[in-house]
Order: sequence, then C-alpha cells, then structure tokens
Amino acid sequence: MKKIYGIVALAVFCFVLCSTSSSFAGPLDAFKGEKGTVKISGGTAHIPVMKEAARLIMTANPDIQITIAGGGSGVGVKQVGEGLVDIGNTGRKPTDDEIKRYDLKLFLWAIDGVALIVNPNNKVRSLGKAQARDIFSGKIDNWKALGGEDRKINIYTRDEASGTREVFWEKAIAKGTIAKSANVVVSNGAMKSAVSQDPYGIGYVSVGHIDKTVAPVTFDGVTPEIETVKSGKYTIARGLYSNTKGNPAPLTKKFLDFLFTDEGQKIIAANGFIPVK
Amino acid sequence: MRSMKETIAERTFLLSAIVSSSITLIIFGFMLFMALPLLSGGKILRILSSAWSPGNGSYGIFPMIVGTLAISFLSVAISFPVSIGCSGFIGILGPRQLNRYLKKIVQVMTGIPTVIYGFVGIFLLVPIVRELAGRGSGMSVITAALMLSVLISPTMILFFNDSFERVPRSYLEAADGLGANKVQKLVYVILPNAKKGIIMGLILAFGRALGDTLVALMIAGNATQVPGSIFDSARTLTAHIALVIAADYESIEFKSIFACGIVLYLFTTAIVLGVRYLASGRRKMR
Amino acid sequence: MKRPVEQAITGFAWLSMAMLLFAVFSVIGYLFLKGYPSLDTRLIFGDTAVLDALLLRKQVFNGLFPAAAGTLVLVVMSVVWAIPVGIATGIYLAEYASARVKGVLNLFFDILAGIPSIVIGLFGFALAVFLHKNFSRAIQPCLLISSIALAFLVLPYLIRTTQMALEGLPEDTRLGALALGATKLQNIFYVLLPRSLSGIMSGVILAIGRCAEDTAVIMLTGVVATAGIPKSLFSGYEALPFYIYYISSQYTSPEELLTGYGASIILLAICIVLFSAAFLIKKRLTYIAFYRS
Repeated sequence: MKKIYGIVALAVFCFVLCSTSSSFAGPLDAFKGEKGTVKISGGTAHIPVMKEAARLIMTANPDIQITIAGGGSGVGVKQVGEGLVDIGNTGRKPTDDEIKRYDLKLFLWAIDGVALIVNPNNKVRSLGKAQARDIFSGKIDNWKALGGEDRKINIYTRDEASGTREVFWEKAIAKGTIAKSANVVVSNGAMKSAVSQDPYGIGYVSVGHIDKTVAPVTFDGVTPEIETVKSGKYTIARGLYSNTKGNPAPLTKKFLDFLFTDEGQKIIAANGFIPVK
Repeated sequence: MRSMKETIAERTFLLSAIVSSSITLIIFGFMLFMALPLLSGGKILRILSSAWSPGNGSYGIFPMIVGTLAISFLSVAISFPVSIGCSGFIGILGPRQLNRYLKKIVQVMTGIPTVIYGFVGIFLLVPIVRELAGRGSGMSVITAALMLSVLISPTMILFFNDSFERVPRSYLEAADGLGANKVQKLVYVILPNAKKGIIMGLILAFGRALGDTLVALMIAGNATQVPGSIFDSARTLTAHIALVIAADYESIEFKSIFACGIVLYLFTTAIVLGVRYLASGRRKMR
Repeated sequence: MKRPVEQAITGFAWLSMAMLLFAVFSVIGYLFLKGYPSLDTRLIFGDTAVLDALLLRKQVFNGLFPAAAGTLVLVVMSVVWAIPVGIATGIYLAEYASARVKGVLNLFFDILAGIPSIVIGLFGFALAVFLHKNFSRAIQPCLLISSIALAFLVLPYLIRTTQMALEGLPEDTRLGALALGATKLQNIFYVLLPRSLSGIMSGVILAIGRCAEDTAVIMLTGVVATAGIPKSLFSGYEALPFYIYYISSQYTSPEELLTGYGASIILLAICIVLFSAAFLIKKRLTYIAFYRS
C-alpha cells in the first residue's frame, strides 16, 4: 500500500513538475489565459517602465492589450477617477481630496527625483535654490550672470497637469512664480529632447530620464542621481504612483503585481528609478 | 403619381442633408453648452481679455488670441507676395512647358500633412531661427509663421490661378491687340480683374493658418505670454486646446477651452461669410 | 510701364517660384536625407517576423506596424461613416433642393469645412465624456469616437464633390433618360451617378487622405502612444501621424528618432499618392482643397 502511495506521490510530483516547468520563465505566467484590455494614462515619467512591462506581457500573451497614453499626473487622476482608464499614473502623491473624491487606491512602485537640466554644452552646472528661483521667475535672464555665455536663458516648463512641475515648483523653487515667457512642453521625454537641442535652455526632468544628451545641474551642492536621491541627500524627490479607482479589476491587478515582482523591479531600476522593494 | 420608392429615396436624401447640416449646429451648440457657466455675468469678457494663470485663478485666453492672430497674420504676410509671384509665374510669365509641372507640384503640396511640417520644423528650422535671431530658443512666432506660410501658399497659389483663369479671354485678346507684353497683361488686365478672387484666396489661406494646430503646437514654444516680438515664444488657441484638454472636467480651466473653441468657430464663420459675400459680388458683376 | 519695372516683376515671379520650390524640396529632401537609412522592413515590423506580424500571431514592438494598422482601420471606419451620408447629401443638394434651401445648406457645409480640426476633436472628446457620464461607462475616447469625429471632418469634401460632379453634368445627359420615361430616381442611379463617378471618387480619395494625415482630431479622441494592433472599437489605438508627433518630442534614442523620420516618409508618400490620384481623376478639383483646415 505504501508503495502505491509512493508511486502516486511520485506521479503527482512529476505532473506538477511538468506543468510548472515553464514557470521558470518567470512571473509572466500570471498572465496565462488572460484576455482583455488595460488602459493606462497620466504621468509621463512612468511611460518607459509601462512600455517595457507592456511589451513583455503582450509578447507573452498576445490576447492582452495594454494601451499607454501620457498627459501628465493631473490627467492620470482625472481619467482614472472618471473611469476612462484603468490605471492613472501620477508623479506625485494624489492629494487627500483626490483620493477621497475618486476613491483612489495608490500603488507606489518607485522613488524618483526631479532634477534641473541644461544642455551638455552649457558650462553652468551648479545652481543654488535662490538662483533657480530667480531663473524661473525671469529675474536672472542671462547665462552670463551665472558664469556662462552672454546669451538669454530659455526656460522650459511643463503644463499644469504635470506632477513633475508640481514637485519642482514646491520643492525646488519654493512655489515661486514661473515666467510666462517659458516654453511649455508636454512630457518628461519632450523636456529632455527640448533641452538637449537648445544650448541655452534650462528645464527640469525626472532623474530617471537623465541621459548623456542632457547635463544634470548640481542643486544646492548635491548632484541629482540615484544614490543621492536614495540616501535622501537630494531633496527634490517624489514617488511614482499608479492609481486605480477602488480595488483594481483582476487583469489590472495582475499588471500592477507584475511591477512589484523581481522582473518588474528590475525594469524599474533599469529605467533609472529606485524600486521600492 | 410618384411611387413609394421615389418618396422613400427623396426622404432619405433629405434626412442625410438634415443630419449633415445639423452637425454644424450641434458642434456649436455643444461648445456653447460646455462653456455656459462662463458666459454669464461678464465672465466671458474677463476670459477673453485676461492672462492664463490657473495657479492664481485666472483662466484668460487673451495671450492665445494674440498669439493666434500674430502667427496667422505673419504667415499670410510672408506667403502672400510669394504666392502672387508664383501664380503670376505659373499663370503667364513662366515658360509654358514648365508651368504644367509646377502646377502639379503645387497641387501635390496641398497634400503634405501638417504634422510633417511640424516635424521638419523642429529639427531643421528651429535651430536656424535660434542662431539667426541670436536669442530665444528658436521656438517662436516667426518659426511657426514661416512653416505655416509654406503650408498655406499652395492654397493661395491655386486659388489665385483659378481666378486668373476666370478673366475673360476677350480682355486678354484685346490687350494682345494693343501689343501688350506678358507683364503688362498681368499687371493691367489680369490682376485688376482677379482682385476679388485674390482677396478670397487670401482670406481662405488666413483661415487655414488660423485653424492649424500641429505646426504651432510643435514649434511656436507654447509660452502663455502675449508675444512682444516675433522671436518670442507664443501659444495659439488651437495649441492651447491640445495642451489643456487634460484638465479636470468640472473645472473652469476645462470649460475655458470651450471658449477657445467658440472663438475659433466664430473666426471660421466670419471667414466663410466674408468669402461668400465676395463670391456673390463676383457673380453679380458678370 | 518702364522696362526695368517690368524686368523687376518678371524677376520677382522667378524668385517667388524658386523660393517656394526651395522650401518644399528642403522639407522633403531633409526627410529623405535623414530618414532613408531607416527604410527597411525593420522600420515596420521591428524584431518580429513579417509573417507573424501580418497574421497577427505576434505583437510588433519598436516598429510602425501597429500605428499603420491603426491608421488603416481608422481611415476605413471614418470613410464608411462619411460616404453614405456625404453622397446622399450631395445628391439632395444637386437634384432635389430648392435654390433657397441650397443656399442655406451650402453655408452650413462651408462653415463645417472651415472648422479647425482641433475644434472637431474637442467636440468628439466632449461627446465621449458626455456619453460616458450619461449613457454608458463603456464609452470613452476610443477608435469609434475618433472615426466618427473624423467622419464629421471629411463630410464636407464628399458632399461638395458629389454635388459639383452632379451639377456639372450637361443638360442633355440629364434629360435623355427622363424623356424615355425613367423616373427621377432611376435617372439618378442609372445615368447621373455613373456619369459623375470620377468626381465622387476623387472626393472619396481626398477624404481618405485627410483622415490619414489628421493629427489634431485623433489626439483628443483616443489615440495613444502604445496600444499594439487595434483589437476593439472601444479602446485606444496607435496612428502614424500621432506617432510622428509623439516621437518628435519624446524620442529616447537616435534610433527611435530615426523611426520618426521613417514614419514621416511613409505618411508623406501615402498622402502625396492619394492627393495626386485625386487630382489626376478630376482635373478641376482645386476648389475643395482650399477649404482644408
């Protein structure tokens, strides 16, 4: 009798082993057999991570469709709140008012910073808080005053829906005014490419988006990079949130869960953010 | 006696006409409805005349109206002389064999998507303007106006040419009889007789510049200031709609873009009425 | 007129023509110069095998296939909405309407044709939000809403070309069948419409071109940055013109920017072919082109 149990146990073991052998492929198996759509919009800092996650999931399971749009944090909150999308991303914590009004569930999956950037050809690489304030209000309007070339400073800012703008405005320039003459761009990606093309431009962007096409500006003596944000030395930090209205639907939940798996957190780190785990 | 089929068909055609013409009204009605809270008690005047500063509770679209007018007027001012020159060339002054091809090129130009003008504008025109101006980011009123002038000139040229061709042949033959050369025919016969058509083309091209979104959105800089010079960054009404669409649907911010929509709609209507007035005048003249 | 003045006028005409050609060819030339290295199957299909992509067995990433498919579906749907209504309205205007009714309707269609596309997009967006709140939660900015909004945008072209084609027919064509005892409807369907087919076709082609190139309407009504192949009428989709707009400001690498040039070349080619075809089919069509906005 014991022998039979043993054989059965072995058979079950083998069966389990076989059926799960593909699970070594990783956490994407959670999506097996799923079907449907996940709609995402809002924060633009999130887009590279969202895209990569979507690519992996949609490759593993072509029956799932994940749509990703930008718009900014404000859009993310409104659209998820109105039920127009499943996930609304924000580059800031939604306000208590927003959470209450739309019954938002918050998923914080990464820490990010907001950094001042200039063109790599610009010699000015370090600014104090007061200087940053004066540049953005238009009080300092020439690079010469900061030790650079004798050229007017071209300010780049984001639209009102941007969470990056809000964090920058609060923590970097202490809610100072932003000159009306500032050029307005619509996303972190657009900010980076605008400043990378304008030798006299200055703007602010998610630390995760900084690459060699733009130069980060040392702010109050601290260089904006992953380590300084992590250690808390660089103070213009913020969380990257994905929000759902109430509890997420099953497929949406699986997508969010994926961000917290090792695989997901690896993608987040690879995109220059600090994974929460 | 009319058969049943005839009646049904006529009703169907009529219904289609009613449906399609009502779209014109529905769009306007919807804009009005959405902007309604702004239209009462003089608020609309404040919106039309003040600055955009949502942080301070000011949702004015005055800078965008100025930006729109500045960019469209400038683009028309740039492309009008060039278009007159081109239509003179294609119409009479240029070599005849060449002109057939030139006209084809101009026709095909009307098909170039505006997003492509914007795309090329960013990478080709913006750096040039930045260096030539010696200040600013290169995204400015003049950059958008230059690109738009390329966009609208085919419209003008084709319309001008069309009105040149409407000048009665007998006038030209009379001029020939008097021994007039090509330039004289253009200046003394064709241009004066095509004056109305030229004005119509001008107005239509202006409407096209006014209504374009992508070029301004991509290369005018989108600053919310009233531009003080052609090298300043500016935002048009159309770009403003594209940028603010994202706001809270209940907010004044969101409602205010419907005010932009109404302003653009009214501009359009004025343009169409102007052109129709001219066209009816032209018909009567004959 | 003095001789130098005449020469100056001729010179000015030559100069204007040269400037225009210079402008157009710099735009097109610049695109091709920068974009031609990107023109191969990888531009469209990325890393996915061509057959797998075409049979929808695998999703395409880092290629234009989803955007091209999105544009195709969008164009087909918009035109399907617009053609029956547009042609029927054109027939009504040309064959049934009294002069006064015609005058009023013409005014409406002229205005509709002149409304900036972003305003039509704004209308589509507001309509989607309105329906979402008051009618069904399933409605949101999506492929369906975009196609309806685009149909509004191109409706005036179809109406105008149909009307003009019918009105342009000579009187004896018009009366022949009637004299033989045909009814008005028979005359329209068996005589007048077949005779004006080329005019109507050119309108359809123009409408297709307009749907393919428009960015302002779709950016407010449902186009998104990433969606894959369109699978449902009620979800977001990708489109070529929006892809160009998106890449122009958000490219993350030179390779990605290169696909933007590639997409521009493809869209430009599509539009130029369509517009040339429309002009080829119908020579005197310029009137409609003026009203594009």
